[in-house]
Amino acid sequence: MNNLSLLMDGFATILTWNHLLIMVIGVMLGMLVGVLPGLGAPNGVSLLLPLTFTMDPVSAIILLSCMYWGALFGGSTTSILFNIPGEPSSVATTFDGYPMARNGEATRALTLAFMSAGLGALAGVVMITLLASSVAQFGLRFSSPEYFAVYFLAFCSFIGMSSSAPSKTLVSMMLGLAFATVGMDSVSGGLRLTFGIPDLVKGISFLVAVMGLFGIAELMVTTEEGLSFNGIKSRIRVRDILRTMAELPRYWASLIRSILIGIWMGITPAGPTAASFMSHGIAKRFSRHPERFGKGEPNGIVSPEAADHSAGTSALLPMLALGVPGSATAAVMMGGLMIWGLTPGPMLFITRPDFVWGLVASMYLGNVVAVILVLSTVPLYASILRVPFAIIGPVIVAVIFTGVYQVANSTFDFWLLLFFALLGYLFKKLDYPVAPLVLTMVLGHRAEEAFRQSMVMSDGSLTVFWSNSLVTTIMGLGVLMLVWPLFSRMLGLRGWRRRLHRQKPQASKPATPDSRP
Amino acid sequence: MTHNGISRYSMEIATALLTGGIGLAICYGAWQVGTGWTPSGPDSGYFPFWIGVLVVAGSVVNLLRAIVGQRHKDEIFLDAARLKSLARFVLPILGFAVVSLLLGLYVGTTLYVLFAMRLQGHYTWWRSLASGVAISVCFYLLFELVFQVPLLKGPLEHAFGVY
Repeated sequence: MNNLSLLMDGFATILTWNHLLIMVIGVMLGMLVGVLPGLGAPNGVSLLLPLTFTMDPVSAIILLSCMYWGALFGGSTTSILFNIPGEPSSVATTFDGYPMARNGEATRALTLAFMSAGLGALAGVVMITLLASSVAQFGLRFSSPEYFAVYFLAFCSFIGMSSSAPSKTLVSMMLGLAFATVGMDSVSGGLRLTFGIPDLVKGISFLVAVMGLFGIAELMVTTEEGLSFNGIKSRIRVRDILRTMAELPRYWASLIRSILIGIWMGITPAGPTAASFMSHGIAKRFSRHPERFGKGEPNGIVSPEAADHSAGTSALLPMLALGVPGSATAAVMMGGLMIWGLTPGPMLFITRPDFVWGLVASMYLGNVVAVILVLSTVPLYASILRVPFAIIGPVIVAVIFTGVYQVANSTFDFWLLLFFALLGYLFKKLDYPVAPLVLTMVLGHRAEEAFRQSMVMSDGSLTVFWSNSLVTTIMGLGVLMLVWPLFSRMLGLRGWRRRLHRQKPQASKPATPDSRP
Repeated sequence: MTHNGISRYSMEIATALLTGGIGLAICYGAWQVGTGWTPSGPDSGYFPFWIGVLVVAGSVVNLLRAIVGQRHKDEIFLDAARLKSLARFVLPILGFAVVSLLLGLYVGTTLYVLFAMRLQGHYTWWRSLASGVAISVCFYLLFELVFQVPLLKGPLEHAFGVY
């Protein structure tokens, strides 16, 4: 029970008024970015990151991770009340959440969503508590070739699990890797890919990329679609909340199934978005009343929410224990860790146990705080969305520009931001996945370093990646993920992917109540 | 351009050409610093070069998929009405970037919010101006005073002696 005592130490680290206050602030800010269209969790965390450079790492990670939980909850709120997913991962919640709210049961829908999300997140943290040490122990056996193999596996799973065309995922991912190599080469100290532009010497920050790809680009798509908010007025009554909580155990089968899906998709880099879609799809397929889905079926809210949050939480396990983030937001946080001078990976468990277990403890507490806060402040956040987009849009843009400037006090980054905004806009409209670009941008340096060290070890022979059973297994898994699309097509398993693709375009457009079936 | 907007077909091709071009630039940049083998291991251009090759390869596949597969032939990427609302959103942002470079982020923010609200929401002048000033003041309080991170300032702030 070593993990338990470490967890208790973690609680001892975080149970101060200061940290509790940071938690509340993080959750509130997170809900704000989750509610606002165009400002998602990755973008919110990126905006906040420059402000944490001077904080101590434990407080900083509590702030950022709580912002993540808050954003996940905020995204569900708008899905249910406005039929507008605040986060890509809460798209699946609109399918049944909005119809239920429209039937006059907004409180029930919100409570179901938040409670199952909270349970999903808690299950994810329990999994992390139980497994983190052993995964880190296992990771200690890795040397450079194994590390490169793990990155290779992560990259291949993107291609294999993505709902976009494999060639589009490849381009997005490799562009991220390439952007990461711009500037100073950490091994030789020389400059590369700067094309004589002095401002490129410092490299391209992944934070600028996130703010362009997820921030401005998202706003461009939103403006183009001419958002009008058709919100459902909701009064949250304590009696309704309690009654819904009592009804929750009825959905235990959906909950357990969704949590397992979420944990699996979170650890592998498929991420929360795929998890929530898959969970909703499977819930419908296994249901005795599939015809009720899309009309406000409780299982249709519980399933995507539990999967979304358990995936979001589980995404932190590979990030902490191996240094391979499972989602875009986890990637941004991992970038933050490196900026604070910490090296994510197994050594972190030995050098900074207070940090690791402080974070795990804060995840328990942060999610409880988030559920309570989100239930009590829903009307407040819903009223923010009633402010016209013509006011909110420019304010968000201005916040993003100030955020970009804070990254490196460089005005050249404004132009990089606009470049990434254009790229993100094109990618979003043409179904290129954006998250892989961010992940590879954060991982780029480490992946390249692992590759080069392996090459030095083997004197330039690629056989080093097949030199022992461990590295061969990981590489083999990677190749398996790569050919998975072909394989699953042969087995006829591509159903959920196609559904995901069909549902995406219709759901990303704001629908007026009468245009919905 | 079709008669009612830009087709998705042409945008697929344009984007594949754009990413392919970036890929070629990466290969060229990597080739400049050396893509071979040095006594201390792979040269610093070795890894980026092969990444560039993969970008080009992926772009070529995307290009062929668009042209040969005739996918999205009749889909419209952007029609005139959407282009107009997009331009109303994007052009003030470009202006914002330029003004901020010259006059600093506070003046940039004020002017940007002012014009964006006028253009997109058709608010009155005084309302838009008041919002712009209010947001700049909020930024000042939040960043300079609470978080103590200075934002970009221009000649106007210097004239008032604000640093």
